[in-house]
Amino acid sequence: MAEIIIDHVTKRFGALAAVDDIDMSFADGEVACLLGPSGCGKTTLMRMLAGLEQPTSGRILFGGKDVTRLPPGKRNVGMVFQYPVMYPTLSVSENLNLPMKYDKSVSPAERQRRVDEVLDVLDMRPMARAFIEDLDIGSRQKVAIGRAVARQSEIVLFDEPTTNMGVNAKLQLIHAFKQVTRRLRQTIVYVTHDQTEAMTLADKIALMKDGKILQYDGPHVLYSQPSTAFGGWFMGNPGMNFIPATRQTGGIASPILAQPLPAPSHLPQGEITIGIRPERVEMSAEPGPGSVPGVLVDQAVGIAGRYLTTVRVDGAKVKVNTAGAPPVGLGDTVHLSVPHARVILFVDGNRVAG
Amino acid sequence: MSPGMRPQGRGRLMDNPRTRVFILLAPVVTFFVVFNTIPTLWLLGLSFYNHSLTSGMPPEFIGFKNFVAIFNGKNSIWFDLSRTFTFVICGVTFQTLLGAALGFLFWGSKNMPGRRIALTLLFAPMVLTPVATGTFFRFIYDPTFGVLNYIARDGFGMAPIDFLGNPKIAFWAVLAVDSWMWTPFMTLMTLAALGSVPKAELEAAEIDRVPYLRRLSLVIWHHGKFIMMLGILLRTIDSFKTLDLIIPMTKGGPGQSTRLVALELNKQSFESFNMGWSSAYAVLLLLISIAMTSVFIYVLNLRRRKEAEE
Repeated sequence: MAEIIIDHVTKRFGALAAVDDIDMSFADGEVACLLGPSGCGKTTLMRMLAGLEQPTSGRILFGGKDVTRLPPGKRNVGMVFQYPVMYPTLSVSENLNLPMKYDKSVSPAERQRRVDEVLDVLDMRPMARAFIEDLDIGSRQKVAIGRAVARQSEIVLFDEPTTNMGVNAKLQLIHAFKQVTRRLRQTIVYVTHDQTEAMTLADKIALMKDGKILQYDGPHVLYSQPSTAFGGWFMGNPGMNFIPATRQTGGIASPILAQPLPAPSHLPQGEITIGIRPERVEMSAEPGPGSVPGVLVDQAVGIAGRYLTTVRVDGAKVKVNTAGAPPVGLGDTVHLSVPHARVILFVDGNRVAG
Repeated sequence: MSPGMRPQGRGRLMDNPRTRVFILLAPVVTFFVVFNTIPTLWLLGLSFYNHSLTSGMPPEFIGFKNFVAIFNGKNSIWFDLSRTFTFVICGVTFQTLLGAALGFLFWGSKNMPGRRIALTLLFAPMVLTPVATGTFFRFIYDPTFGVLNYIARDGFGMAPIDFLGNPKIAFWAVLAVDSWMWTPFMTLMTLAALGSVPKAELEAAEIDRVPYLRRLSLVIWHHGKFIMMLGILLRTIDSFKTLDLIIPMTKGGPGQSTRLVALELNKQSFESFNMGWSSAYAVLLLLISIAMTSVFIYVLNLRRRKEAEE
């Protein structure tokens, strides 16, 4: 069992708290992604798990054992770096074998068996005797992944392994990653700033910002029910619409709502915003029940051939993501309706309802 | 391209890839030919002549007689050469080992307070003029008022040591000054070599439980060896030419105990003005330098070729 417990860990660089009092745990055998923009502290947190960085305060436990003061070599973790590390004087299979060579408890036969297994999983059997010069950057990173998992440590860390890769190599690596994790049930922490990658790979995603974990949930929950406005904005392409709203006697009113939204019973004080995903906004040329009129100001073709439209409604700009082309041309009037069930209510950037 | 867009004059020469290469190379080639190729050929020619600037006689072609004299004369080159090679091998070995050790210490202490000041102080000897260093050390080594003997006499009650006057000690005293001056260079090269090692690879090796000595050969040496070998090569060639450091200290003496090849060449050419003999001597030194450089480059390529074949 290798549950990772991060017990009130803080890391300061001078006055900056790169990791600010994080207290959470990653369950055994789970693939957890640390997702966040550059500089949010995700890599620092991972480097502390690996032992390459010492926390300023707090403890780190692997499977109930305090490893906070242990050097990297004594923690029994595998790690894959952003820079693909393949030892240049060793062949692919020697690379995979290396971390086990210094572990007396694994017999040479067992080592060979594990190396062969990983070679098969990674589909690299023909390259077993190849050297670094023979491999492209994606294959080198595959070797690094293989080396991190072949030793069969209970914890494997991935620090943005696909960042420097081309599109093709990236897909190959993600495929390899899935193959490997399916075969060997290790506890995996995967750092990335790419939300698609996180959504594809993770069992659970920890969304980070400014040294704190904002939300730790399954990919689907994180997407549909972000706990913060930042989460709504960061996830999705484009991110969530945020439209100012006001408290009125009939409930919560906003330019894009035809009927006011019923206010929850304990609405805190503060600035109210409503959030709605662009693909949840319905758009038509004719007015319908619960629709508001707006002017179509911009349109573009987005991912997977979907249409991205910007509509101005009473001073607010609403992004709309539809499968079909917009029903009207640029500058014409269009009617938007926002299903109340899809609306999320934020007060001062935190979700309160929806 | 329409006729109106065709560039004019010089611009057209620069646009043609063939002429552009020559135009861009011309300044450096001119410099190289005037200051390097012509003097070297002149030197080669002069080495076959009996030519003394003090005799007033015109140069006389004597074939290989200069070379014969260098090898068989009363001041045979062999003594100077063996002394010089001892100087080079002992000096460069010591400077490399100590320099590398210091480099590792500085590399491993990136957060130590005062590191920058310590590094600046360490590199100070390297930026001094060798003549000034030599002159200072003549005073430091002086048997009557030098600070070393002051410490030895008043601190430890030892008899005065004539560092530069004793033929048995002078060579090593001079070698010590050379090392004082050039060890920092090898520290610098070590730091540069260590800087070329990818950080992720070092960290990966640490996580992969690779023992320290194995990490040294697997990761550090592999990435740093080219710069280290380059440093050793530069130091070897430079050490082979040592002249200005020794002149103010011993002028090659006492006896001939610190007379390296460059000192003998300097004396014969610029004190005795035996230009023919000196040219022949210089040609031999040039050949030795080229041979040493070739060996280094061969060794470097040998490693790489072996890796490619493996």
